[in-house]
Amino acid sequence: MSARALILAACVLLLAAVPPLAQLAGQLYYIDLIRRVMVFAVAAASLNLILGYGGLVSFGHAAYLGVGAYAVGILAFYGIHNGWLQWAVAIVASALVALVIGAISVRTRGIYFIMITLAFTQMLYYLGVSVEEFGGDDGMRLKVKSQFSGLIDLNDPVAFYYLVLALLLAAITLVHRIVHSRFGMVLRAAKSNEARSRAIGFSPYPYQLVAFVISGAICGLAGALLANHTAYITPAFMEWTRSGEILFMVILGGMGTAPGPALGAFALLIIEDLLAGWTEHWQIILGPLLVLSVLFFRRGLAGLLPGGGRHG
Amino acid sequence: MNLILVFEQLLNGVQLGVTLFLMAAGLTLVFGIMNLVNLAHGSLYMVGAYLAVTAIDWTGSYLLGTLLGLLGTLVVGMLVEVIALRTLYERDHLDQVLATFGLILFFNELVAMVWGRTALFSSLPSYLQGHVEIIPGSIYPLYRALVIVIGLAVAVALWYVVTRTRLGMLIRAGASNRTMVAALGINIRLLYTVVFGFGALLAGFAGMLAGPIYNVQPGMGELILIQVLVVIVIGGIGSIRGALVGALIVGIVDTLGRAFLKPLLGAFISPPAAESAGPALASILIYLLMAVVLALRPEGLFPAKSGG
Amino acid sequence: MAEAILDARGLRKSFGALVATDGVDLDLREGETHAIIGPNGAGKTTLISQLAGNLRPDAGSIRFAGEDVTRLSAPQRARRGFARSFQITSIYRDFTALDNVALAVQAHAGHNFRFWRPARAQRSLRDPARAVLEEVGLGARADVLAANLAHGEQRQLEVAMALATRPRLLLLDEPVAGMGLEESQRMVQFLSGLKGRRSIILVEHDMDAVFTLADRISVLVYGRIIASGAPAEVRANPEVRRAYLGEEA
Repeated sequence: MSARALILAACVLLLAAVPPLAQLAGQLYYIDLIRRVMVFAVAAASLNLILGYGGLVSFGHAAYLGVGAYAVGILAFYGIHNGWLQWAVAIVASALVALVIGAISVRTRGIYFIMITLAFTQMLYYLGVSVEEFGGDDGMRLKVKSQFSGLIDLNDPVAFYYLVLALLLAAITLVHRIVHSRFGMVLRAAKSNEARSRAIGFSPYPYQLVAFVISGAICGLAGALLANHTAYITPAFMEWTRSGEILFMVILGGMGTAPGPALGAFALLIIEDLLAGWTEHWQIILGPLLVLSVLFFRRGLAGLLPGGGRHG
Repeated sequence: MNLILVFEQLLNGVQLGVTLFLMAAGLTLVFGIMNLVNLAHGSLYMVGAYLAVTAIDWTGSYLLGTLLGLLGTLVVGMLVEVIALRTLYERDHLDQVLATFGLILFFNELVAMVWGRTALFSSLPSYLQGHVEIIPGSIYPLYRALVIVIGLAVAVALWYVVTRTRLGMLIRAGASNRTMVAALGINIRLLYTVVFGFGALLAGFAGMLAGPIYNVQPGMGELILIQVLVVIVIGGIGSIRGALVGALIVGIVDTLGRAFLKPLLGAFISPPAAESAGPALASILIYLLMAVVLALRPEGLFPAKSGG
Repeated sequence: MAEAILDARGLRKSFGALVATDGVDLDLREGETHAIIGPNGAGKTTLISQLAGNLRPDAGSIRFAGEDVTRLSAPQRARRGFARSFQITSIYRDFTALDNVALAVQAHAGHNFRFWRPARAQRSLRDPARAVLEEVGLGARADVLAANLAHGEQRQLEVAMALATRPRLLLLDEPVAGMGLEESQRMVQFLSGLKGRRSIILVEHDMDAVFTLADRISVLVYGRIIASGAPAEVRANPEVRRAYLGEEA
């Protein structure tokens, strides 16, 4: 195994070791914290597909977190607690929303695309705020977590933790397989040189749209996970500032690399956690930090690994 | 629902429209000329509002306070340009979006630290309170009417400067061919700083005007920024005319929608359904409008010919 | 006489006040190599772009193998057998040479909505790609990142990608542009090996290349074809000599 693979394997082992270690140290808080980071890592991995490999700068990915979360929340509200059903709906609903948003936005270029995806996510936020049944601005509690007929109890923090870890690894693997498949090669080619792609016979639009939908679907799953993690669902999940955070995770971690999104999620959320513990006004430090990272640290954390930031 | 009410809401829509225009004009100018996406434009709006309120309180004079506030915003804008944005001109849009996003976090927190998180009260001098009778039977707040007039005046002035003056010519030339303008001996850096400062001034002005009408609080910039982005997408990037048309359309549609959609719907569907569907639909109306415009004209209504 | 595989009539294209293509008629017979020459600014690349589908002509029609393709986009024409190389090298810089050509093979092969199996492991893509690379002389450089190839090698890669789609029509825009003497001679030799087997429209400045490769030459000046015919004819044409060849011929 290459040095890179060894390091990544070690990271996975470390993640798996968190619950027992935390229990030993009596610091159960870390199970919660790392689990939350991993949920966002799933979201970041989904964005990496279209951003890192597809070149689509979506500033609206939080929308799918919201759709997934609300799918779980709304079904639970009406007494449907079956996890299989809830999560399936979360994924499908997110895919559909991504299809609609994507069909309109993917046609556009560059800065328009950024603005439009941003506008749509905020639109969903306002929609969430205005629907009073589901709590409006305050959101709603998830009193009963998704039920999986005895297979796993999400109320058990450790079991839930391992589920999220497994899903994170699955998401990363899925994205990895996709970007190296025939489909993925076309997507990446379109990002690399659109004129050349058209000249050999590829129309980028269908590929980008499909990638957009897949990305939305995976992010919807992250939304379902988030709903269960926080046991509370609010429109704030869909705010554009959240989209910005996910975007930063992908960039900080190294876009267009497999471990990038996870690394970025960890980096950003841990830094936020540390700063928040230090001062109530942590954003005034985070803001400039982010600016500096954009100016001077563009390759991201994955670029520090042996093998560099190069995607295969 | 009487005609007078519709008329008043229409005026409100125009008032929102000119506020959006002031913001959109600055943003689209900066994008068109410097190819810079500045999400922190909303922060300048916020800074403008806060500085104005503070200066008015401090000097006791509305006019003097306003002037100081605007000056302050101009200075802040130029400082931001010199310190943080210069390096971004060469970078791609993603980098610009991310960096200016970081600036938003910074400014929101800065404002919260200095002024606190609760909304500030922005008072109007007595001579600006009161009402005017625009059409018989309808009294409209004087201040809002003034905002409309001022906003439209700025639009005309802007049009004049951009199309009829040497500075405007430089600006348009710079937009289509930077290297050429630089080769002609024009100091591009200075031009950029001036343009950015001007955009900041417009944003600060919008913020100052909006203070008494909307809430002055951290995060106020982002609320309006999203609407401004919708305006720019609808109107077309890089175009002042598009910014005006788009802003008026968005302002009017949004205001009328919020005011009349629920009662309108109530005429067709059951009242309880209209009760929830109305506000929901009203809140997303401008986005639906944007989607429709994009489906028909992906470049917006009046895209500037010269690419950024 | 061989059939006309490409038949362009009355092509017109203006950019504002600039008329880049001013009523051009052009045809290509199957297996023929038809060169287009002309001074700088004559509108050669604009013409190629219209033929390839990158630009919509303001007026005129283009027929390919009997079908009207004027309204078709570049990808659509590519799928019907058009292949194009660009004057300014346009390759996938962050992929290897082999990846580049494999993508071209993949474009032609279809089945592109497959999400699981790694494309790089698929022999049906890699083998033909390798073969084409060998043909153009880049076999040894297959695993080099395209950005790291020498300029001349990148031009070879352009041609390789055009060939990998098994095209019925090749549109080559200055294939030896920027190449040194030896390299361009190798490229010309390679291209002459294609003569008769492919239908080629060739835009070139390099007169050696043109007179070696062309079965027919058309001369484009200010958007109009001022002469068209066998190389010897064109060479002797006084208008052409005045407008373009000057003292050289």
